[in-house]
Amino acid sequence: MTQEIKPHPLAAVAEPNLLDQTFEYSLPPRIRFESPVVEIIDGQPVEFDPRTIPQRDIVITDTTFRDGQQARPPYTIDQMVHIYDLLSRLSGPNGVIRQTEFFLYTKNDRATLDRCRELGHRFPECTGWIRAVKGDFRLVKEAGLSETGMLTSCSDYHIFLKLKFDRKQALDSYCSVVDAALEAGVRPRCHLEDITRADIDGFVLPFIDRLMEMSRQVPEHLTVKIRLCDTMGFGLSYPGVELPRSIPKLIYKINRECGVPSDRLEWHGHNDFHKVHVNGATAWLYGCNALNSTLFGFGERTGNPPLEGAVMEYIALKGDMCGLDTTAITVLADYMRSIGMPIPDHYPFVGRAFNTTRAGIHAGGLRQDERIYNIFDTAKVLGRPPRVAITDKSGADGVAVWVNEYFCLSGADRINKIKVHPVARWVLDQYEIHGRLTTISDEEMEAKVKELLPDYWDKYKKPSITNT
Amino acid sequence: MATIEERVKAVTARVLKVDADKIKLEDSFAADLGAESVQSIELVAMFEEEFGIEMEEEAALSVETVGSAIEFIADVCKQQGVEA
Repeated sequence: MTQEIKPHPLAAVAEPNLLDQTFEYSLPPRIRFESPVVEIIDGQPVEFDPRTIPQRDIVITDTTFRDGQQARPPYTIDQMVHIYDLLSRLSGPNGVIRQTEFFLYTKNDRATLDRCRELGHRFPECTGWIRAVKGDFRLVKEAGLSETGMLTSCSDYHIFLKLKFDRKQALDSYCSVVDAALEAGVRPRCHLEDITRADIDGFVLPFIDRLMEMSRQVPEHLTVKIRLCDTMGFGLSYPGVELPRSIPKLIYKINRECGVPSDRLEWHGHNDFHKVHVNGATAWLYGCNALNSTLFGFGERTGNPPLEGAVMEYIALKGDMCGLDTTAITVLADYMRSIGMPIPDHYPFVGRAFNTTRAGIHAGGLRQDERIYNIFDTAKVLGRPPRVAITDKSGADGVAVWVNEYFCLSGADRINKIKVHPVARWVLDQYEIHGRLTTISDEEMEAKVKELLPDYWDKYKKPSITNT
Repeated sequence: MATIEERVKAVTARVLKVDADKIKLEDSFAADLGAESVQSIELVAMFEEEFGIEMEEEAALSVETVGSAIEFIADVCKQQGVEA
């Protein structure tokens, strides 16, 4: 069959079409769907409609203190309390970051939980995390938590090779702890570890059927939640992929065949194949209401869905800030760096260079209109205006952007690139005459602006960069 | 007193390190006289200093030849009431 070629006439418009329904500069760009998504499951077309996302109560959950802490030396109690406080600020009054979970094993774990709860924040709600053994459940009861996660590994790698159980023993063991939780009035959240490498029909769905049966015997607030744990990062978002790696099919089976409602489904991913963020967002689209994440993606091995990425995705899907205080992301990143957690310079949203350009032509664009080369209004959303790093490629445009940013000048007050030519010349000479190979630091630029643009320095000077 | 043309050629020669006597009106600053990016900025800055004028950045940087620069500067001087 031949495809008829479709002509595409030029739309010669007088005014630019900046597509601002999608790229409204004050927000991360919106993700707008124009149709349902169809997945073929068991030979039948199944429709998912991501256009319902703005109305769904999707949320972000946090595991910075559990999975996030498994990847690093322990935080101090004070550090965790401070991070929790900032998470609450970020979450906002609507509780977009709905829950965070705590280990309960050591005295310090329990003291941290107590101090976080003493802050009196409604969100994120504090929950626990235990292995699915009755001895551990005592810790939950003693901590007085209303919900706890429990490890219910579901692949044969874990059941047979780690736990040395058969499937029936595993299922019975997990269900007995769930029973104990329900009897004590604590809501169980079963973490189905390694689900993307599990026998879905042979173990996962029968186990969930049992959990649903148990849930039918208890009040709504105790009904079992299911966390789909992509423990090794094997999950795939692509349509047409087979189970157990298909995220759409996994969610469909659990959500629509087993009947677990979306508000009791949560996705927990790992980044072993660079898919962690999009897999989490995919889970939202196909029916999980909760996306589990860690600050800056820190977590076991390659890490978890980055919480700040989930926040941006959330805003993009909802088309609204939803009460989130996104400037807290920058504060959290600065705090994490201050306690020795490295964040790569190029890391999105919080790396030192995430909105820094080194190319003169990009700096020229930024100087004309920062929307040309800035992803969104990073000054408003994150408290981080776009920056230029000065090298031989920066040109006078780059120097002018740097100087104006340094003096905090905007609009008609901005200094044009003609006026900064002595600094632009000095920069170029560093490379062409002196053979420099490194980026010029802010401190060097500051000193040169003071020396070579004395009139502007006297007019606009501010405290040294090194002291701010 | 030197003419606008003589002063423009003198500034051009100094900034681009070329012989003023060899500069022709039709010479392109970039293609014929070798002005690189930062030198173009320096040329505009030096013209402003030489004539005591303020030039609109984009318009000034779009001037390509020596002859056009002389006309442009003469216009700006006239607009800004500067005797050239």
